[in-house]
Amino acid sequence: MTELHRLVLLATLLLALPLLVAAQIGRPAAPPRGPAVVLDGRELAVPVTITPGGPLFALRPLVDSLGGQLGGDDTGESYNLKIEATEVVTGIGNAIITVGEEIVSLSQPPVRGEGGPQVPLDFLRKTWGAVSGYSFDWRPEESRLIISRRESREIKVTLDVVHLQGMTTVVLQFPETPRYRINQLPGVVEVQVLADRLAPPARKKVEDSLVQDVTFAPQQIRIQLVPDAEAESYLLDNPFRLVFDVHRKSAAPVPVGPSAAAADLRSSTRTIVVDPGHGGTETGAIGPGGVAEKELTLVLARDLEARLTQRLPVRVVLTRTDDSKLPLDSRTAIANQNKADLFISLHLNSSLGSGAHGAETYFLSSQASDTHAESAAATENVSGAAAPAPDSGQETQDLQMILWDLAQSHHLAESQRFAGLVQAELNQALELKDRGVKQAPFRVLMGAAMPAVLVELGFISNPDEEAKLQNPAYRADLVEALVRAVGRYLEAPQVDRRSTPPLPPPQGAVRSNPGSPTPP
Amino acid sequence: MSRRAAGWILAVALLLVIGGLAWWWQAGRGGDRAARRGADEGAAGAATERHAFDLYFPAGGGGLRSERRELQVSEAPKDRIRKVLEALLSGPAAAPAAAPRPSSTGAAAAAPGESPAGLVRPFPPEVKLGSVELSADGTAFVDLRWPDREDPPESGSTEEIQRVYSLVDSLALNVPQVNRVVLLWNGTQRITFSGHLDTSRPLLPDRTLLAP
Repeated sequence: MTELHRLVLLATLLLALPLLVAAQIGRPAAPPRGPAVVLDGRELAVPVTITPGGPLFALRPLVDSLGGQLGGDDTGESYNLKIEATEVVTGIGNAIITVGEEIVSLSQPPVRGEGGPQVPLDFLRKTWGAVSGYSFDWRPEESRLIISRRESREIKVTLDVVHLQGMTTVVLQFPETPRYRINQLPGVVEVQVLADRLAPPARKKVEDSLVQDVTFAPQQIRIQLVPDAEAESYLLDNPFRLVFDVHRKSAAPVPVGPSAAAADLRSSTRTIVVDPGHGGTETGAIGPGGVAEKELTLVLARDLEARLTQRLPVRVVLTRTDDSKLPLDSRTAIANQNKADLFISLHLNSSLGSGAHGAETYFLSSQASDTHAESAAATENVSGAAAPAPDSGQETQDLQMILWDLAQSHHLAESQRFAGLVQAELNQALELKDRGVKQAPFRVLMGAAMPAVLVELGFISNPDEEAKLQNPAYRADLVEALVRAVGRYLEAPQVDRRSTPPLPPPQGAVRSNPGSPTPP
Repeated sequence: MSRRAAGWILAVALLLVIGGLAWWWQAGRGGDRAARRGADEGAAGAATERHAFDLYFPAGGGGLRSERRELQVSEAPKDRIRKVLEALLSGPAAAPAAAPRPSSTGAAAAAPGESPAGLVRPFPPEVKLGSVELSADGTAFVDLRWPDREDPPESGSTEEIQRVYSLVDSLALNVPQVNRVVLLWNGTQRITFSGHLDTSRPLLPDRTLLAP
């Protein structure tokens, strides 16, 4: 080798060495045996990233193995994963996902990583686990995820049968959502559980004029109706319940028609529940002069109680008598426990922007939940989101809530009529701007088993009306208008419940899978 | 050519070859990453265009009134949702930057924070838009964030309706893919927003609130 050759070789080696070293730094080291994902004893090619918050698993290969369809949105920020009929929406960097209509929190947000989006373990459990019955067992000492199909579950079911005003309500309550199908047959309603096994309640005899019996088999619940009865079904969540309204096919009017109402008026004292809005730490609106809505509503409620009992044969119950915070559901609960004939929630208003003034009266909107038709037609459910198991004391409360929901739907027409009377009296007495009768999905009106309205008696955000509302004489006029409205309402016959237009669904009803087949 | 010069030429040539190979190898790996990222992000770099939207702001008198706004958006529904909401939260055109005072001073005078057109930003400036999601059934999930405030502002029912439905109507009436809206506050879905409206379930748009 000549000196020239040696020189060239040496220069090449010296200059190439740093580049080779740099290149090797960028190359991943030969991976040691790392985390693994195993499905039914077979190792899957699923990239796993171990983070301080736990393992993250590549989503795409899991979709290939566990089933489903994965699509990304146009921005690449989120992904739609469809597992059976359930839509899962997840976003990169967002620890909140949606599973069907449920909002679910994750232990850590999905990230982009090897193999595309990577998701934490609880994502898998709350999606494929809940929907398809897979179980995911992460073994940190081995860095292995063992996936298996869950065995058939044994689901405890409880039964309640309640008869109320000519209709029987059958409630089947489950601690977690079963997969089921409802078959409506002449005189019989069958609930067929598709994959799980039922743990029936203790046998008890059903004594009802519309339901002959309810029997349980490991995968079937059978509701036997009397010959001329029929049932409508819908579902409620938290906890999951299947509810069946059973009534006569002839739909005989419930005895609340004019003669019955008049007889009631003569023979019994009506109960009016007056609800002073807000209270405690919930101040409600604050006027520019510092007047708090919660204070004035309490004053107005006390005045209304006094005037009503002076002028009408009524018993008045206030939901609160001091400056205490009271949950909205408790307010209607008080009305229901007192078997009230009317529920009046008193409020004072505020608005953004100038110029708002006047009074308005609300009753529950038909938009308060999804369409009744879809809920009532719910016959099959393929969602598997687990619901928390209720404690024993919760069951009675849940049943009460169902009844309130049912009753409220019957009372919407009456609520509308009473709201009209209230608004008319307020307009006539006070020459306020008529803001009209309105509907809104107000929580305090939901679940009241009687006609229920929310009255906004003026805008305390408007300095003029704030000043008026601090005047006792003005408040007396407001109260007098309300008393007249109650009096007119009680004197007039009630609307025949069976002739009312289509009503909104019971609150708490959730839509079943719209794509589910309907049995013949 | 001297041997010294030949040596330098050879060294440089080899250096270029090796360097080129190293660059090609690294660029290939980076390209793979970019390709994967591109696949994940879909049309993140998609073309945008200016598009007119009717934003529904709270208005004097208690309802909502629209203000037409041109926004730079892509075709992606989520991009449009975010842009519409960001524009809505930033307030109406020429509105004072100050947070609105939720009160009225009579029909003739504009309230503080009110734009010349009588429109008001629905939320104080501290309220920021968190994440947005859109499910396949058309439910938009909108997270409003004000970390210092556990609860949304106390208000009367009309003010609450104006706030909530300014968002619901602006989304559902501008983005065809949105049918209804679930509103979250600091990542949590509430039973009511400010003590009246039930926000424990999706809200449908309410056109009755819109001023003609």
